[in-house]
Amino acid sequence: MKNIRISIFFAIILSTIISAAGLAQTRYFTKTGKITFNSRSPMENIEAINNKVVSIWDVASGQIEFSVLMKSFEFEKALMQEHFNENYVESDKYPKAIFKGTIENSNALDLTVDRSITVKVNGNLTMHGVTRPVSTTALITVKNKAIAASTSFSIALADYKISIPSLVADKINKKITITVNIPDYQLVVKK
Amino acid sequence: MVLVLLAAGVYFYKEYNRKPADISNVEPAASSGATALVELYESDEAKANQQYLGKAIEVTGAIDEINNQQDTLVNVMVGESSSMHKVSCLLDNRYVASIRNYRVGQQIIIRGICTGYLMDVEMNRCVIIEKK
Repeated sequence: MKNIRISIFFAIILSTIISAAGLAQTRYFTKTGKITFNSRSPMENIEAINNKVVSIWDVASGQIEFSVLMKSFEFEKALMQEHFNENYVESDKYPKAIFKGTIENSNALDLTVDRSITVKVNGNLTMHGVTRPVSTTALITVKNKAIAASTSFSIALADYKISIPSLVADKINKKITITVNIPDYQLVVKK
Repeated sequence: MVLVLLAAGVYFYKEYNRKPADISNVEPAASSGATALVELYESDEAKANQQYLGKAIEVTGAIDEINNQQDTLVNVMVGESSSMHKVSCLLDNRYVASIRNYRVGQQIIIRGICTGYLMDVEMNRCVIIEKK
């Protein structure tokens, strides 16, 4: 009986140590990221901006996530915004897009010295109900202890089952460039 | 015939170049207290989206934070400071100056387009409503 008590006692101590170690992680968070997408075609350039990007990056594991609301993309022209929401991404049905991925060698990054670091990011982007792999490189900039990050990659609309009516097909590029800009990652947990 | 074509042409040209609506001229589809709106989104996001997603809504509550974003943007957090989640209102760029008369803790009425729920209930193209 006493042995059991002792082993329970040690189990509690051990689990406390493990969970404390688990907390000793550096996480960066933002609610104010910016994602822009661009469609360039000979007929027309279309751009939309979303200034409400939420992102969290766990430095130790390298896991990184981005979430955006499709309806937060703002266009210059109202008609484009309506078509985007109603016909293309069907934002009533699929209100969010989410990227979940990993930054390679994230735990080896030294974020205490001012510099720019190029990293590889691999993950999955879910949009319009379709999940597809995305691989890109990103630039992480450390300046006066502030952390910024940016990347750019392109996706094919067909991969996400977004179909463009033939009437406007020559105005919309089948490949869209997505630019991500996190001006200020905030440190959330550090022990 | 020429007139009809001309009228159609003008209509399509105007429709094509139409700018997103100024929300101060849009009648709100609903109004809510900030706390009640957050609670509804926390408890049932799908139901809240059915009611509010993509609609112009008017939200009343206390200002929790006023933040500058990327030099030119202003975002106002409305709701209870004790709550993890608030209503996050990105002001219409034409109306950012109107926040100058407000301070954190003050009551505010903001009208904007509800774009959904991430960490907070998100609203875009927001304008401050002054009740006479």
